[in-house]
Amino acid sequence: MTTVVYSSPFVPAEWIAAHGARPKRLRPDPGAAARSAAPVAGMCPYARALAGEAMALHDGQVAVFATTCDQMRRAAGWAALEAPAPVFLFNVPATHATPAAARLYLDELRRLGRFLARLGGSEPSRDKLADVMESYDDRRRQLRDALGILAPREASEVIAEFDRDERPRLQGARRLLPHGFPVAVVGGPLMLNDAQVFDRIEEAGGVVVLDGTESGVRTLPAPFDRRRLRDEPVLELVDAYFGRIPDAFRRPDEALIAWLERELASSGARAIILWRYVWCDLWAAFAARAGELAGLPVLDLDVSGDEGADRRTANRLQAFLEVLR
Amino acid sequence: MEELDLLCERRRSAGAPMAAYVGPLRRHVAEGDRRLLRLQYDASPAALRLWSFLLTEEERLHEARAAGAKIVGAMKDLGTVPVMAYALPNVVAFYPDGAWWTPCVMELSDGLLRIAQSLGFGESFCPVRAMLGAFVDRAHFPIPDLLTCSVGAVCDDFSAIAQRVESLGHPILWWEMPHRRPPEPDETAVELPGGFSAPASQVALVRSELERVRSALEALAGSPLGDAELADGVAQANCVRRLLAELRRLAYTADPCPMPALEMLIAEMLAIHFCSDRAESIRVLADLLEEVRRRVKENRGVLAQDAARVFWVNPVADLRVMNLLEDCGGRLAGTEFLFSHALDLIPEDLPPMEALARMALADPMAGPSADRAARIERDARAFGAEAVLVSRIPGASHCALEGAVIARAVRRTLAVPVVEIEVPPVADSMMPTLRAQLEALVETVMERRKP
Repeated sequence: MTTVVYSSPFVPAEWIAAHGARPKRLRPDPGAAARSAAPVAGMCPYARALAGEAMALHDGQVAVFATTCDQMRRAAGWAALEAPAPVFLFNVPATHATPAAARLYLDELRRLGRFLARLGGSEPSRDKLADVMESYDDRRRQLRDALGILAPREASEVIAEFDRDERPRLQGARRLLPHGFPVAVVGGPLMLNDAQVFDRIEEAGGVVVLDGTESGVRTLPAPFDRRRLRDEPVLELVDAYFGRIPDAFRRPDEALIAWLERELASSGARAIILWRYVWCDLWAAFAARAGELAGLPVLDLDVSGDEGADRRTANRLQAFLEVLR
Repeated sequence: MEELDLLCERRRSAGAPMAAYVGPLRRHVAEGDRRLLRLQYDASPAALRLWSFLLTEEERLHEARAAGAKIVGAMKDLGTVPVMAYALPNVVAFYPDGAWWTPCVMELSDGLLRIAQSLGFGESFCPVRAMLGAFVDRAHFPIPDLLTCSVGAVCDDFSAIAQRVESLGHPILWWEMPHRRPPEPDETAVELPGGFSAPASQVALVRSELERVRSALEALAGSPLGDAELADGVAQANCVRRLLAELRRLAYTADPCPMPALEMLIAEMLAIHFCSDRAESIRVLADLLEEVRRRVKENRGVLAQDAARVFWVNPVADLRVMNLLEDCGGRLAGTEFLFSHALDLIPEDLPPMEALARMALADPMAGPSADRAARIERDARAFGAEAVLVSRIPGASHCALEGAVIARAVRRTLAVPVVEIEVPPVADSMMPTLRAQLEALVETVMERRKP
């Protein structure tokens, strides 16, 4: 069975699974970046690490990148030149308010399906696709239920396990004991082991009441409409992913703003930690607006993923929360 | 500059015919364009006209607004929407993106980058963030009646900055530019201007997006934009492109070099939106071409014979660096300033919206870096370039990897030296480093010529 390695939340795991492949949504290892041999200066460390992960693929594995930012789009091109395994670049439209945008996303899903079929997979029947979607929807509901009672780092790690297509270890996880200054972490994706940042925040006297990173609940697709799922599974998939996931690359970005306003209010967050990689323009631009929109203090936490980054991050979190507490 | 201003005065005294906007460059220095004092110019009436045309664009836009014309701010697509807008009567289009040169021309006295910084757009962003400052201080271009912006396969800097512009109360018509990819075996392929190909489905998507732009333009102008008007707009755009093609052919191949690099950069820029006056841009380019033809015929040039032939990739934020190349013994032998799709002829044997969609999709920024590298290799070979210079734009999301892809491809296939430089809006403090890099490139070329 082909394993499809990817990182974008806009690539539906159930679509890959229904085509007979194993979806594996990665949090790339920052240590893989060097393997990419891509330039360091000016390049997003996350995109560089994902390109490095693609370099390490072997027979039976393929990489799927998404066009959700320029850096990732170009990292896909770099990986396509160098990686030993096939690389597929999924065109996620930036616009979303037109039928043409949704049609392009749908066409890209179908193109991905053909790509997987060429690698030995098969196009699913409508019923098979609906079955697979239903199964993922059930598992995702269990995941959502569990997230509400888990401590922030455990919640993030459980999502990562789900994304890797593993059975999340929902038993024995640490239960959330809310204390500390309530903060929201909003921004780009996490790399391997980055969930430790939630512990660093607690150590600094805060508590994460909202994980709005690309690796958190913000990018979970909407629950499926079970009736429509049986009649028009592909369109339901398009709506749940393309129609519902808010992100900084979308134009206009009103869905992200609405999501942020709603979730900040319901979570009780009193400050925002904006998690972004150096050279990430989309989230850097959003940092200034987030504070204006919410009227909350914002820590623009630019992370590099390199050696020493953890200590810098911890120091900045400590200083930020010291001022707020 | 003094020489050019003297020329202007002499021609005026002699009663030589000059367009109304032509005048001494010192008037622009008085208005704050201090970089003009540090540039070296071609001392011809054609160059005087070119510079005067460029430097009076904001006045032209304000006059158009005062005269009741509708103003379209086209953003990012670099060459497509203006072709459509100028097909309508009483509509003028320009690129607010062009404000990226304002900090250079005004040597940072404009304060645009400071305003951008105050809005969260610091040095990690491309200098095009100056556009944001211009929307805020309203001291440069008039605020357009309609703003369009292509998004999708574009640089993140621009997408983020444009979103900030919209958040400040300037609604934008966003239109999708898909990432251009090669057609798959089961897809119908379409040949694009410039030699790339794309699936027919992508062309159809861009066409449908441009139809939305067409509707917005019609609503703005209050008159229909039919295929006949568009076809005429395409023909006029091609008139500009043909002039530029011949100008580039002569300027980049004739020896001695008949036109300096700086004037060629400005001339090429006219292709994207005609500097807000399509008819006049044709006359300006025709003048320049006539001057170049005369020089070639008389075997006259502006540089020493046998200068090192350098293909230049990306526009520079500091115009002075174009002079520096020539100071170091180099000359232009081809360019790719990120808008080769605005230089290639638009097909006139197709329905105009189909032709425009194909042209838009040929944007070098929309496709893989490897495509762009292939085009650069081809053009560099055609112009006989002996070296390739990749000028990185500080902070630009595409430059880090793209430069590496281009450099590697060029080294492999053309086997010519490649250098990457980075040019900020005012590069004075970096001039010694840049000079050393350019001199080393020229020396390498000269060394390779030795038998």
